[in-house]
Amino acid sequence: MTGALKYEWVRIRTIASSYWMSGLAIGLSVGIALLIALFSSADDVAELNIGQFTSWVVTAGASFAGIPVLAAAFFATMGAMAMGHEYRYGTNKATLTALPDRVAVYVAKVVVLVSWVTAAVATILLLDLAVAWLFMRDPELSSEAVRPIINYWGYCVGFALAGLGLAAFFRNQTGAIVAVLVWPYVIEPILYVVLGTIGEASNAGIGKLTNLLPSSAGRRSIFDPYELAGFAGAFDVWGVGASTLVFWVGIAIVTAAGVASFITRDA
Amino acid sequence: MALIQARGLSKTFGNKAAVRGLSFDVVPGSVTGFLGPNGAGKSTTMRLMLGLDNGEGVTTYDGVAYRDLKQPLRHVGSVLDAKPFHPTRKAVNHLRMLAISNDIPTTRVTDVINIVGLGDVANAKPKTFSLGMGQRLGIATALLGDPGTLILDEPANGLDPQGVHWLRNMLKTLAAQGRSIFVSSHLLSEMALMADHLVVVGRGMLIASGKMSDFISTSARNAVVIRVDNPELMTRELRARNAAVVTEPDGKLAVTGMDSDAVGNLAHELGVRIFELSNRQATLEEAFLDATGASEEFRASMGFGAQQPGFGGPMAGPPPGYGAPPPGYGSSAGYGAPPGYGAPPGYGPTQGYGASAYQPPAQPDGGQPRADQPTYQDGDDNR
Repeated sequence: MTGALKYEWVRIRTIASSYWMSGLAIGLSVGIALLIALFSSADDVAELNIGQFTSWVVTAGASFAGIPVLAAAFFATMGAMAMGHEYRYGTNKATLTALPDRVAVYVAKVVVLVSWVTAAVATILLLDLAVAWLFMRDPELSSEAVRPIINYWGYCVGFALAGLGLAAFFRNQTGAIVAVLVWPYVIEPILYVVLGTIGEASNAGIGKLTNLLPSSAGRRSIFDPYELAGFAGAFDVWGVGASTLVFWVGIAIVTAAGVASFITRDA
Repeated sequence: MALIQARGLSKTFGNKAAVRGLSFDVVPGSVTGFLGPNGAGKSTTMRLMLGLDNGEGVTTYDGVAYRDLKQPLRHVGSVLDAKPFHPTRKAVNHLRMLAISNDIPTTRVTDVINIVGLGDVANAKPKTFSLGMGQRLGIATALLGDPGTLILDEPANGLDPQGVHWLRNMLKTLAAQGRSIFVSSHLLSEMALMADHLVVVGRGMLIASGKMSDFISTSARNAVVIRVDNPELMTRELRARNAAVVTEPDGKLAVTGMDSDAVGNLAHELGVRIFELSNRQATLEEAFLDATGASEEFRASMGFGAQQPGFGGPMAGPPPGYGAPPPGYGSSAGYGAPPGYGAPPGYGPTQGYGASAYQPPAQPDGGQPRADQPTYQDGDDNR
């Protein structure tokens, strides 16, 4: 296991895409935070108190309104590349002859990827916090901000793991990147709106299915206040805990599929 | 210095069997060539040996399966692809990454990158590498752990003549140090110079396994060639003594089933005047084509429509008179399965052909590695 961790640590540090992916995630996220802090204020947004507005800046817009978690897209791509490079360039044979224990190789990729993403997300949050303090009037980070911030980190980590799992499952980098970006940013939003609209208009049972969409559930778990997330009134929207669980169950399913493929199929 | 023992290796893709019950040994101190037509299952076999593919059978290295080896790069080095690295990760970082996974000192990275002649481009990105340079980096990977065993799939692909020469000498030197070298190649002339032993496969099955000299000696193309003043009489009398005789286009007789002494004595007894009498030694290529002629997975047409006289070539099978090998030759039964590699009874080098063992030409430098190993410079033609 130690050998696999060392290998993966060198692998992620010696590839340029690790840096420019993380750099783009950090830069764009801080840019969004800057836009919000510079051109808006808590007075402009009636739904948010000052604490929630500060959270909105710190989470680069993810805790309110429809701004996607942009950083997650880059970390998902990094995750796809962590495994996809092995197949795209045929390095999986070199990797697995050096480290025949495939479980250890996968676990090492998970550990190093999560560590890398955690460090990058921490950088985003700290820089966004600095933006809030520098450009907001009377910023205030209350204890209630902990939940959206933690779930923001979890959302980014989860997407990185999804990218990894999809690449291991498809054994194809391009397919994994397409899947991990198209599903949450295109397909699931369409499903969410269609199911939710039907639920609101006529069939609450159909509307409840929106609770099972994993990316939307993860996205909802970041919202502060949570009540503003998604459709309200016509059908039950699950709570924060259940939504977070749905998100991680989705990640777990993708990861399990990836691990099974990686362990059992030919190199 | 590991004895490789492959036993019952099998692999199917869908309904197609790629490797079927393959068993052989690779002994320390030798270069063992792995030969077979395209699609014969060579690469699949190597992947099975390294635990990369799922299949049946087991391969052990001094009794230990690959997946159970601790720090396997220190035991077995392998090259399976021509360019198995990320194109933008520096060559030196590629090697460091693999070295650290098996606790190999980073000083060894510098050593192997110089051994393969890539010292000048150690910090370059492999996307700029030629196929030959990629092969060298792959070989550096294989040498990283200073292993006792090397498994190399077509390592000479893309190498220039100097590179091929260097590779040959290096592998022979490593074998002389007691290591086990298992190498596949389509370059039969190169294999003839490099290998001591052979494993020959066709359609996923073992055709032959043993010493190269024994393999070549079984070729039906080994013959006694004689030119006499009365070929009709000579042919008749030879056939009466159960020898096979083929009259060649230039009138010479190619005789199999009798050694040159016996043929000469017969001519003397018959009062036939001899103008020429010699032993014709088959090449590895001829022996290989004989052995694998029926095992080609993919046959090319000659492009002449109906087969024209004189366009036989290897695709058309052996020339007239060479079709059926002598009894007991040409099948896997003719090469006893390991262990031992010894020629089985009846397959010795004196089956009527005198010294039948193919002797690879001696290396002008005695097989030692060159001091002036080629290195790559910017602008090198091989870039």
